[in-house]
Amino acid sequence: MMGPSVPWYLFVAGALFGIGTLGVLLRRSPLIVLLSLEIMLNGSNLALVTFSRHFGTVDGQVFAIAVMAVAASEVCVGLGLIVAVARKKLALDVDLFSELRG
Amino acid sequence: MIASVGNVLVWMVWLGAAAACLGSGIAVVTLTNPFYSALGLIGNLASLAVLYLLASAEFVAAAQVLVYAGAVMVMFLFVIAYLGGRADAPWAGGSTLFRVAAVVAGGALLVETLVALLWKSSRLSHSASVGPSFGSPAEIGRSFLTDHLLAFEVTSIVLLVAAIGGVVLGINPSSDEERAT
Amino acid sequence: MIAAAWLCLLAPLAGALAITFGGQRLSRRAAGWLSTASVFVAFGGAVVAFFAMVGRDTAAQRSELSTPFTWLSAGTFHVGMSILVDPVSIVMMLVVSGVGGLIVLYSIGYMEGEDEERRYFAYMAFFVFAMLLLVEGGNLLLLLAGWGLVGLASYLLIGFYHQRPEAVAAAKKAFIMNAIGDATMALGFFLLIAKTGTLSYGASFAAAPHLSSTTVNLVALGLLGGAVAKSAQLPLQTWLPDAMEGPTPVSALIHAATMVTAGVYLIVRTHPIFEQAHHVEDLAAGLGAATLVIAGLIALVQNDIKRVIAYSTMSQIGYMFLGAGLGAYANAMFHLVTHAFFKALLFLAAGVIIHHLAGEQDIRQMGGLKKFMPKTWLVFLVGSLSLVGVPPFSGFWSKDAIVATALARGGIYGWILFVAALFGALLTGIYTFRLFFRVFYGEPSALVLEHAGAAHGDHGHGTESATGHSEHAHGEAPQTMALPVAILAVLSTVGGLLQVAGAWHPFGRWIAQTGAPLVEPTTSQDWIVSVITVAIGLTGSWVAWAIYRTGRLAVPSAPGLQRLFEHKFYFDELYDAVVSRPAQLVASRLRTDFEGPYVEGSLVEIGHAGGDAGGLVARLQTGRLRVYAFAIAASLVVLGIVFLAVR
Repeated sequence: MMGPSVPWYLFVAGALFGIGTLGVLLRRSPLIVLLSLEIMLNGSNLALVTFSRHFGTVDGQVFAIAVMAVAASEVCVGLGLIVAVARKKLALDVDLFSELRG
Repeated sequence: MIASVGNVLVWMVWLGAAAACLGSGIAVVTLTNPFYSALGLIGNLASLAVLYLLASAEFVAAAQVLVYAGAVMVMFLFVIAYLGGRADAPWAGGSTLFRVAAVVAGGALLVETLVALLWKSSRLSHSASVGPSFGSPAEIGRSFLTDHLLAFEVTSIVLLVAAIGGVVLGINPSSDEERAT
Repeated sequence: MIAAAWLCLLAPLAGALAITFGGQRLSRRAAGWLSTASVFVAFGGAVVAFFAMVGRDTAAQRSELSTPFTWLSAGTFHVGMSILVDPVSIVMMLVVSGVGGLIVLYSIGYMEGEDEERRYFAYMAFFVFAMLLLVEGGNLLLLLAGWGLVGLASYLLIGFYHQRPEAVAAAKKAFIMNAIGDATMALGFFLLIAKTGTLSYGASFAAAPHLSSTTVNLVALGLLGGAVAKSAQLPLQTWLPDAMEGPTPVSALIHAATMVTAGVYLIVRTHPIFEQAHHVEDLAAGLGAATLVIAGLIALVQNDIKRVIAYSTMSQIGYMFLGAGLGAYANAMFHLVTHAFFKALLFLAAGVIIHHLAGEQDIRQMGGLKKFMPKTWLVFLVGSLSLVGVPPFSGFWSKDAIVATALARGGIYGWILFVAALFGALLTGIYTFRLFFRVFYGEPSALVLEHAGAAHGDHGHGTESATGHSEHAHGEAPQTMALPVAILAVLSTVGGLLQVAGAWHPFGRWIAQTGAPLVEPTTSQDWIVSVITVAIGLTGSWVAWAIYRTGRLAVPSAPGLQRLFEHKFYFDELYDAVVSRPAQLVASRLRTDFEGPYVEGSLVEIGHAGGDAGGLVARLQTGRLRVYAFAIAASLVVLGIVFLAVR
């Protein structure tokens, strides 16, 4: 194929995943956490598409579309949660939602 | 010559898109203003679409732009706009130990990716050659409706559930009661 | 014969179970009569079996072992649920069920008005069953089972008045000392099983001559230990006087007539083993002789009527052990039978007195009862004469036979035993008549006047027909109490005629079918000894008469000896210091130093450790999303390393 070979794409995908992880772990606002989560998902999407190109089958792309659909649903629900929290006038801080504390 | 020029062009486009992708990703994670973070994510998605195009996944690229950047990010922006000032997200918080540990974990992931690619990627050198209709909607559609029909249907159920969930989360008890009386 | 023997064994058990399960549905009276009836049914069975046995001709035919099923089988070791009916066991069956029946009948009157009568009668029937199991058991294991069960019945009955701490303590003491005997017996049995592989009488007795002398001596010692504990001989005799805390009929049945004689029965039954272990036999005879002297000495200073009779029992069983140890099995068994008669008579008569005086047992509070309780005076006299061994009462015939056997044994040891037996006879005369004169003669004390003075009027005890407090034929005791006493008095008078030394030996021949005596006194020895023993016994009685009746002699003053006798030769103190205190000390030290910190502490520590571990794990549940996400990320990193390294 023209352009960079598969490992290059995979490097970008892995890097995106790592960046997204850092964002999930280090940010306190649930909105930003969700955005970082999207980045992670996109990283894995890229990996899927790359492998689909590498093996010459469309299965990877099909899966990437499914992932996109699931990501959209998850964002919908997550944002709904954030709005509900905000309506209760609570602070938007992930560390404060610790009622599952053992 | 044309091929080599084409190759160089492809390389340049790829490098630009990759840089934009990574840079916007970092921007999303580091900026304090959520609006800017959301914009960063839009940029991320757009550059990813370019990368998809370069990897012969045209339909996926189109879907990415339409669905992700078009619908999902619009939702995000709506919510950020609704929240207004409360959405501001400063960096403070978490114990130092935890922050260090998190950085180490994330860095370890990156390092592992590098290690995997540099030393173990011998089998990834030769990709298959594909025809012009490889990532076309027809191919995707055919695959969805034959090989992956179950996934297709299940995904639609997931979407339905999410929609219902969104509506349920959005119910405002006081306003509904007012309307009832 | 066998069917009658099984009936004899099982009837009292049925009675006990019926009373137990009948519970409140049975009236107290009904429980008493049911218990009595079951024991008399047993007696009937024993009589039938006896006559069936007499009808058979040879000794071999008269001994029958019946095994309906195998009780226990482990590898090559089998034990059947079997009963052995032979001349020795039939004698015991008759005595146990006969005298037992009379005593249970007596209890109906004696225990009337007590709390928990039904429990008492159930226990009595259970005891009779257990004792019958002991004597009818067809192998050593069943004998041991009966042994343990009579110990249990004794414990239950001594501690019958369980609200009294002295009674409870006495019951425990009896049980623990019996348990020591049980343990030595069990050890002996283990050795026997190890060497012969069987516990059945026939097989182990046949194997006895072939065992090594160490083995047979150890087994015999084990058996002797059990016999000594159960029969309250030296050195395990201290429980018997304390056992007088139980009701008087219990003392009569268990601690005079039957249970305490089980040791003698054991020696007679296992005589083939003892005959191989001569030193142990001599030891048994020696312990018997020592006990009879010491018990006689202690009885001289006792002031409780029941305790005098208890020490007298201990002393007479010493005679039986002496006889059995010398190998005169028939003489020992004969004395067992006559002793059952007159000792039970004495206890029951004492019970009548105690009942009449509303529970007073101290003879210093009694005196002058002769004119108030003439019939009791008469039977007590009969019993005392029998005990001292005055002809023609039964004790004479049996005791003298044993003393003659001691003489006939010869050797220095034989002379020592003979002299001890004679000294014992002297003491018997003294303490028996000391008791007799103190209780029935002299000035009536205030207590006597208060209770017995009104005997012929207000103090009528309930008759069968509830006509209220009216004078009835006996005046001293209700019919249920008087009848057994009368029967026993008759038996004490004529029972001795079962065997007249030197002239008529049906009893001796009967027992000899099972075990031939090792020593037989000659006729002239018999007569000489009889004369000497009677003379000595009468001398003792005269001494008592002189001191206590007429006051001609004064009680010799020997304060040291007096203290020694009153403290029962300090055996209790010795055992307390050597056994009881160290055991308690060890137990309490173990509790504080070992069980507390280590056993209990370790459990507590395990609990704490569990809690701490839980606490540690709980720290993971921070509830914070980021921490969970971090955990996932970290696991992912680790997995990645693993995959990279492996592939």
